[in-house]
Amino acid sequence: MSESKAAIKAWTRAQARLGLRAARPSIILGIVSCLTGAAQFWCMANILGPTLTDFVTPDGHGAGVPIPLWPLAGFAVAAILRTAINFTSENASATAGRKARSRLRNEVLGSIVGTGPAVLRHAHSGALAALAVDRIEALDGYFARWAPASVLWIAAPAVLVVLTALVQPRAALILALCGATVPFAQALFGIGAAVASRKQFLAMTRLQSRFLDRMRGIATIVLAGRADEEAARLAQAADDLRRRTMKVLRVAFLSSASIDFAMILALILIALSDGRHAQQAIHTTDAASFRALVTDSLFALLIVPEFFAPFRGLALAYQDRALVQGAAEDILALPEVPETGVTEHVRTLRGEAITIAFEDVSFTWDEARGTALEHVSFTARAGETLVLVGPSGSGKSTIMELLLGFIQPTDGRITFNGVDMQSIAPEARSSLISWIGQRPVLFAGSLRENILFAKPDASQEDLAAALRAAAVDNFLTALPDGLETMIGEGGFGLSGGQAQRVAIARAYLKNTPVLLLDEPTAYLDPVTEADVFESLQQLARNRTVILASHSTAVHMFRGQRVDLLQGRVAARQGAA
Amino acid sequence: MTASAPRDLTARNPAPRDTAPRDSAARERADRDALIRIVEVWRPHAARLIVGLLLSLLAVLAGLALMSSAGLRFAGAALGMVLVTTTALRVLGLSRIGLRYAERLYAHDAMFRALATLRVWFFRSLAKGAAAGLGFRRAGDLLSRLVSDVETLDGLYLRLLLPLAGACLTFPVLMIVVMNVNGLLGVLIGILFAASALILPLAAARLSRKEGGGLNHAQASLRVDVLDLVSGMREIRAFGAGSRVLDHVNAANGRLLARQAQLSRRMAFVGALSQLCTQTALLLMLAAIAGVGFDRIPAVQGVGLMFLTLAAFEGVSGLTRAGMLAGNMGAAARRIVAIADEHPQPSLPVPSPANVMPTVFDIHFEHVGFRWRPDRPAVFEDFSLDIAAGSRIALLGPSGAGKSTLAALLLKATFPQSGRVLLGGQDIASLPDTWLRRHIAWLSQATHLFDDTIRNNLLLGAPEASEEALWKALDEAAIGDFIRKLPEGLDTWLGEAGVKVSGGQGRRIALARTLLSDAPILVLDEPATGLDAQTEQDFFLTLNRVAQGRTVILIAHRLTGVEQLDHAWRLSGGHAVPFSAQG
Repeated sequence: MSESKAAIKAWTRAQARLGLRAARPSIILGIVSCLTGAAQFWCMANILGPTLTDFVTPDGHGAGVPIPLWPLAGFAVAAILRTAINFTSENASATAGRKARSRLRNEVLGSIVGTGPAVLRHAHSGALAALAVDRIEALDGYFARWAPASVLWIAAPAVLVVLTALVQPRAALILALCGATVPFAQALFGIGAAVASRKQFLAMTRLQSRFLDRMRGIATIVLAGRADEEAARLAQAADDLRRRTMKVLRVAFLSSASIDFAMILALILIALSDGRHAQQAIHTTDAASFRALVTDSLFALLIVPEFFAPFRGLALAYQDRALVQGAAEDILALPEVPETGVTEHVRTLRGEAITIAFEDVSFTWDEARGTALEHVSFTARAGETLVLVGPSGSGKSTIMELLLGFIQPTDGRITFNGVDMQSIAPEARSSLISWIGQRPVLFAGSLRENILFAKPDASQEDLAAALRAAAVDNFLTALPDGLETMIGEGGFGLSGGQAQRVAIARAYLKNTPVLLLDEPTAYLDPVTEADVFESLQQLARNRTVILASHSTAVHMFRGQRVDLLQGRVAARQGAA
Repeated sequence: MTASAPRDLTARNPAPRDTAPRDSAARERADRDALIRIVEVWRPHAARLIVGLLLSLLAVLAGLALMSSAGLRFAGAALGMVLVTTTALRVLGLSRIGLRYAERLYAHDAMFRALATLRVWFFRSLAKGAAAGLGFRRAGDLLSRLVSDVETLDGLYLRLLLPLAGACLTFPVLMIVVMNVNGLLGVLIGILFAASALILPLAAARLSRKEGGGLNHAQASLRVDVLDLVSGMREIRAFGAGSRVLDHVNAANGRLLARQAQLSRRMAFVGALSQLCTQTALLLMLAAIAGVGFDRIPAVQGVGLMFLTLAAFEGVSGLTRAGMLAGNMGAAARRIVAIADEHPQPSLPVPSPANVMPTVFDIHFEHVGFRWRPDRPAVFEDFSLDIAAGSRIALLGPSGAGKSTLAALLLKATFPQSGRVLLGGQDIASLPDTWLRRHIAWLSQATHLFDDTIRNNLLLGAPEASEEALWKALDEAAIGDFIRKLPEGLDTWLGEAGVKVSGGQGRRIALARTLLSDAPILVLDEPATGLDAQTEQDFFLTLNRVAQGRTVILIAHRLTGVEQLDHAWRLSGGHAVPFSAQG
């Protein structure tokens, strides 16, 4: 996807639409709450008005007109109603926020999974996790707060101004004028807020990626005696985050201070103008209409904080709006999910032997580093083993990535039984291929879950057979909880050889006609290597195997051999 | 191969002990202890935090003064009387806005400084216990502690302490003013205020503590799952497990959202309760002004009181919600502190720290007894070995014989249960960790390449190394030519865990990093892993030339035959047997 401004705008607009739709209940409830609030103030004014006038009017001084009781009851009812409405609306907003986050997280994760391992060439896994977890958590405010606030800040004050105008037109005019200054201040602060909050998130992501990377290599740091230096750098990153956060807050606080200022201005103006009016009226009108006048003025004064409350809501939510822009940039920067091409289901190759051919394949990672593969051709015949030999960097891993479909040839084609692999649906392709790399990734979970990862619906017997075939059962007894032992980060707790056996057991369970082995013993000592190779030989039987290795132990595998040197085929043995 | 051979010196660390204690009293104690520890970490920022507190109290006072005089002014204004001058109101109003702004800015800044300090403290504590790697801890979970849990703690000061202090100041003011007018009203308002500022928040805190930080765990487990998904992409794609893993992450997401839903419902509920308190207080005031149920209080004064009440209750309105977060804060504190407490402890009494550092670097293992865990068989029972300074030796043997364990003991990544390890005649237990580790350069089987440039990766071992020294080390590790050909040379970005170079190339960069260090002792644990046969031979030939005058400890399964060694031992049955097949 392009990162262009237009794309970001389109995405943001789409989110805004969705957000508004989801915020509808909150908006309606917000306006109802505002009306109930007005009712409360009307009740209040109707108690305060008569008591106050009773206190000053010459004719009623001390005697006291009876204070009506309905406003007290009305106030109580409106208070309960309003509390209930706010409770409901808060829950509705929170629900909208959760739904939106769930949806976006799903989209982002789907896009990461769709892109495959290539995504890690674009971004650190810490940054990707921050995107999928924190970036999206941070969008909660956009959907739960900003979306309703973006309508309420106009709708609610408008309703209140109309109500006030019915009672006290002069005050309504003052409110409208003071309220009109708010958008200008917001626009001014809003620009700053957007920039500041984007930078803050960047600082946050940087801190996270840095920490995650350092965490994974913590032993290396500690044993190099560099923990203090790293702590100092982390302190810098953490301090940078603080400064960025403060910039965001400063803008937010300033804008809420500016609203306070407008509010106090409105209060003073209304109080002054109404006060002057009351002073004139006190001698010219009768008690009843003076009482009505004072009651109206009180209502106009009481409504002022209510009138400005939605603005404050908007100011609080303003940074939420800025965050969506940043999220858009990050989400749209994810590499495009590669086109799967014609999803022609390869005439069901399941269970069938498969011949793989490279036909004049070239590949370039990036222009600067030159081509990784140049016009490579070879054929791995069905049921046989082909060994790729060559020093590190000669292109073995690139061939594996191509076969796994993580990347596509820049030139030439790869065929499975004569069918271009690009035309085979990815699911169909992955059901044909098992792969064992240098170090298997072991996921958080038990050993059983990690092996069943290859085939979750495998029967008890299949699992037992795979454990036996991969010689996992040999070390099960040494583990504290056998198959249920929980496995840590990067498979700590298992030795390299044991981890590779987990990978072999996975391959047994998956039981596919094609087996790709990418330097499966690179991190093993020679004794373990020989053991693992023995298990792999068993696994290789009757499968088409492509083995990349520079180990001297590969002679254990019979089959043709292709020597690679700087991305070219340098020699072949055993006829290709 | 036995399971007792931990890769990368990995002590079999138990899983972090931050799971909440079962009974609530114990949990409360654990929470309190953890919070006290964290407050201690914040001590350097005490002055700022206190100034922030004072500012916030001033802002509360200004707010109360403004509101009650505004009430008077307002009541008067409606009648056209001047009870409070506009100027006074303006001054109060402006000072209230100014103070509020200054207080919020200052208090937040002070808090965030404290959080930054806490993050660094967390890293240092973690580093203390992580010489042996992360063990069973997941990096994602640690990240969650550093980011989310630390962030949760800002509420402790900003959302709990500051408003509580404000409430303590407001309460007597409110009581005295209202009591003066009407005793019964004062008592009732006081009860409502106490309910809103103290009782409800406490009840909310108790309720949330029962959760025991389920939200924190849900957050961490989502992060772990997402990181698993991102870093296990190869496996996921190769096994066509995309949709399955997505379902798994979505389930974790669902659990987090369910927790959040519960919390937000509860917050809305307690928020509503505290709103009802405020409304009831206003209703009582109105009733008193109207003379219903109370002796009628003078109207103008009544309006002033009403505004004061409103301001007082508004100041504490957030406390109930904050109380609802107390459980999360406690759990966050516990999760952060748990890491700090979790590092291998010497099981023998620690000798007093050395004043004079050794100047010769002979190594002696003296009757060392060691096992990784009490329930595991002993790796060594009575192991002794002398390695003279400047000698080149090899430790051979199959996996599990304890070769890497020796390196771990030497580097104080773990501690012997009996016996001593001496360096230059001094017990290494008495030497500072950092000093020791700067004098022993170590290449492990799982040495990490950082997401940084090649240059910065190399400089980790020797921050002051010159350009020339860098290239020399790279050439010795047989990777110089490759890097010279890269368009950006030393400034090439290596990517996450060295993703942009092949496995063997990364390994050689790590080797160059070790060679670059000027430590007098080099420990090379299987340095040839990932090298092809020819490169391996070339490397050992190079090694014979470089590192002259330094102690070289080579840990390997076998020798290639080209190494020039002073001694070689084969480890077997917990003892070192001189190895003679080598010339």
